[in-house]
Amino acid sequence: MKLEILKEIIKKKEKKTEFAIITNLSSGESEIFEEDKPLSKNFEKYIDQIKNFYKSKKNGVVDNTDIFVETYIRPIKVIIVGAVHIAQYLVDFAKSLNFEILIIDPRGYFASEQRFPNIKIINKWPNEAFKEIETNTNTALIALTHDPKIDDPALQHALKKNFYYIGALGSKKTHENRCQRLRDAGFSDDKIKSIHGPIGIKLGGKSAPEIALSIVSQLVSETYKK
Amino acid sequence: MKNSFDEKILEEANDWIKTNQKVVLATVIQTWGSSPRQVGSRMIVNEKGDFSGSVSGGCVESAVVRECIGIIKDNKPFKKIEFKVSNESAWEVGLACGGEIAVYLEQIN
Repeated sequence: MKLEILKEIIKKKEKKTEFAIITNLSSGESEIFEEDKPLSKNFEKYIDQIKNFYKSKKNGVVDNTDIFVETYIRPIKVIIVGAVHIAQYLVDFAKSLNFEILIIDPRGYFASEQRFPNIKIINKWPNEAFKEIETNTNTALIALTHDPKIDDPALQHALKKNFYYIGALGSKKTHENRCQRLRDAGFSDDKIKSIHGPIGIKLGGKSAPEIALSIVSQLVSETYKK
Repeated sequence: MKNSFDEKILEEANDWIKTNQKVVLATVIQTWGSSPRQVGSRMIVNEKGDFSGSVSGGCVESAVVRECIGIIKDNKPFKKIEFKVSNESAWEVGLACGGEIAVYLEQIN
């Protein structure tokens, strides 16, 4: 692989664009494939097969050829509401798992650059913050403040936009109250049941990193279920 | 759905190159049967045999490192190698899991 291709790949990954690396295994040549861009002469004749491969988001050798395709898809966006202690560990796990993390917390003393270096923090109330964030059914929400003033508007947004994973921290009692508030706000029981609350899989741990691990485990599991 | 669960190995390769190391990229391109790592898994190896990442569960990495050093010495741009469980294989290492993998080695230059 040429160094300039490697650098181009890294740049595209940083920009979170979707692309594929295609390599001719018998000549050693490689190139970057993007859906809307033409390929060079060396790869042109395989374009249809490469496109099919790319659409299925798989890696592998195209049948009956020497062309290897590796697809890079956009990382999943995970929005954390509450720049609390658990969030600091979640950010660490998410880095190794390549989730794209965004933190919303209107409380400036929590959501500081010093506590969350190099993480995008939106220092606003959820309703305002969501105006700046593109979300869809590939987005996840982790609500950690267990303060209805902050968590509830975010949960409502996530339910309306059909996020694939919605989790909310809090005891069973807290969660029951939360569900009642959402019912009062007009959400159906089915919708409300889609919220993972109390959040996380049962590991038994109570410390911040243990709770973060239980949340991130549930998040990965739900990602593969979808 | 699939997340990219990407392992940042290419970024690491770039960092190695910045410090004037010669780098070979090893990529799992095909698997048959039960193999420990999926297609697209990667490791990088420098001329001294330092490596990062993985192409198996530790079963064939040592052989991959040797091959990578070999292609740097011979100045070969790329090479494809296969690992099988069979004892008749030329490699003294094999995949204990019973799977087979093909690994593509390429120099970054």
